[in-house]
Amino acid sequence: MLISIDTSAGTSVAIFDGPSLLSFVSFEDPFGHAENIGSAIEAALAEAGITRQELSAVAVGRGPAPYTGLRVGIAAAQLLARSLSLPLNGVMVLDAIAFGKSGKILVTTDAKRKELFAAWYEDGKRTGGPEVISPDRLADFPEFEQLAVSADAAMVGSFAVAAASSGIDLGQTDAIYLRSPDVTPSKGKRVSG
Amino acid sequence: MEIRNLSVEDLQALMRLEREVFAAEAWSESGMLSEITAAHSYYIGAVEGELVGYAGLRISPLDHSADVQTIAVAQQARGSGLGRRLMEQLLAKAKSAGSEQVFLEVKSSNDVAISLYKSLGFEQIDVRKRYYQPSGEDALVMRLKIRQPIVLGIESTCDETGVGIVQGNRLLANALNSSMDLHAKYGGVVPEVAARAHLEAIGPTLDAALDEAGISLDSVDAISVANGPGLAGALMVGIGAAKGLAVATGKPIYAVNHLVGHVGADVLERGSVELPTIALLVSGGHTSLLLVRDLLDDVELLGETIDDAAGEAFDKVARVLDLPYPGGPQIDKLATEGNPSAIRFPRGLTLPKDLERNKYNFSFSGLKTAVARHVEKHQDAGEEFNAADVAASFREAVVDVLLTKALWACEEFGVPRLLLGGGVVANARLREEAERRCAERGVELRIPRFSLCTDNGAMIAALGSQLVMAGREPSAISFGAESTLPVTVVQTP
Repeated sequence: MLISIDTSAGTSVAIFDGPSLLSFVSFEDPFGHAENIGSAIEAALAEAGITRQELSAVAVGRGPAPYTGLRVGIAAAQLLARSLSLPLNGVMVLDAIAFGKSGKILVTTDAKRKELFAAWYEDGKRTGGPEVISPDRLADFPEFEQLAVSADAAMVGSFAVAAASSGIDLGQTDAIYLRSPDVTPSKGKRVSG
Repeated sequence: MEIRNLSVEDLQALMRLEREVFAAEAWSESGMLSEITAAHSYYIGAVEGELVGYAGLRISPLDHSADVQTIAVAQQARGSGLGRRLMEQLLAKAKSAGSEQVFLEVKSSNDVAISLYKSLGFEQIDVRKRYYQPSGEDALVMRLKIRQPIVLGIESTCDETGVGIVQGNRLLANALNSSMDLHAKYGGVVPEVAARAHLEAIGPTLDAALDEAGISLDSVDAISVANGPGLAGALMVGIGAAKGLAVATGKPIYAVNHLVGHVGADVLERGSVELPTIALLVSGGHTSLLLVRDLLDDVELLGETIDDAAGEAFDKVARVLDLPYPGGPQIDKLATEGNPSAIRFPRGLTLPKDLERNKYNFSFSGLKTAVARHVEKHQDAGEEFNAADVAASFREAVVDVLLTKALWACEEFGVPRLLLGGGVVANARLREEAERRCAERGVELRIPRFSLCTDNGAMIAALGSQLVMAGREPSAISFGAESTLPVTVVQTP
């Protein structure tokens, strides 16, 4: 059984038995990640009717995401996996959103500051991204169907389950920010005029 | 029947019962007085109209042990289980104080008492021949072992990722990963940089702590985490990690106050925090003056900085003097060659007009500006200036104002104790001057070892452990990050 955790948008947790979704718990509050993460995991386990000892793998959404909340899910998933000695699978969330879609797909999520996180796919294969784009660049993808939805733990989990059966390596589990910390070294200001 | 703490006012009643029960072996009145007023002694009495029973415990914090000093039940109150109730209350006290063993002596002929102690878990470990005088009877020495809880604490309020493990009041591990070097090029802690570093460090730091303690997660009884005050993004990493850990292990979780954690760190040094105490916590993020009457229930904020933290002022002045980050150690080093009286820099909020509203608040922004003006004035005039004198005079101003206010608090509140915490405690001049001024005023000075003064996970574990030992309920799993958590909230419920 796999537990999937995602805090790239809201806070959600899903439990999978093979490909079937046993439970899905979601808190949509975009600022309540730290508050909700524990309850979400507990509720998902309870709803699936399983104990933590029955888990065999953990999946987590690595972003990209603009919120500090992204790290809450990754930190929880990391320590959950570590404490239960389970493998941790990191999922780039745009891949999870595109999963199962055929044709030409452009996945975008809100990157704040009037920008988008984007990745594009042709017949299930990522051909570009993830990167931060300005909305002007949407015009560069005329033949693409745009999927502008946010990720959740059900999508992340489905992707991880499928990846495991097709041998895709999800061993990288650090956060994907796509932006440098927003800061420049200070030169120091004069105080006297 | 009421069981309550006994005080000097109960001395006569105590002596009446003492003489009735122990006759020729009774303690003297002066002996009893020094017993009940001794440090770390805990005397309780059962009152029903009059005193009908009492018991006393002496805790030895440094040894993590306690001794049952006496227990007596009046003839007319025997057979009612009062002796057991008194013992249970003493043992609860020993447990909450972090004792790992409780000792007692009992007359070898006192079968009733021996069987009570055995039923409470005591075992005989020795015999003291002819211990009781004048009867000459032997004493059995009995011991109860208490398994104190193992608590794992997570700290991520600023730029240090800490995981500490304690058992009761004993330090088992204090693992730390600092992102300080990453902030050097910015001249100060950058919240987003700190939060990113916490996420990368938390797993390895947990492993290092478990390794250092030589235990596995299975033997941990509770998790504690600092949920404020601090940088929101940084706090959230620690909270996410702690909740993941708590849910995965099924252990209770305690959300604790970072600043009170600094005060609690001293239990790891000497088995208890002597209270009441004034606590001066000085770091890159905080400059706070606390009055702590009870670590878990009565912490009062007397004052704090209204602008820069003291550590921040060191960093900013270091930049003015072209010294690298972090500024504290650099200024400390340079200042040793300078004259602290060379320049009279301002002492913020110490003028008579400040005392009404800001007696215990601090302000370092004016001081920093004064230093910058001094340096710019010389630079603009193309004059040389003595950087060592500037460093020494600046450092002297910071140390002076910190200690002046801390000692005002000791005096005003009649608290003969000062505890220092936070990274600025590394400053040699602060320690030296604190020692001098405290000695002069008869104030006991406590400075835990440096690794317990800077932000660390062990102090968070220690405060969590105090809560567990005192039988407090865990926090609800839904607590969040509180970047401005007041010190009065020791634990978020």
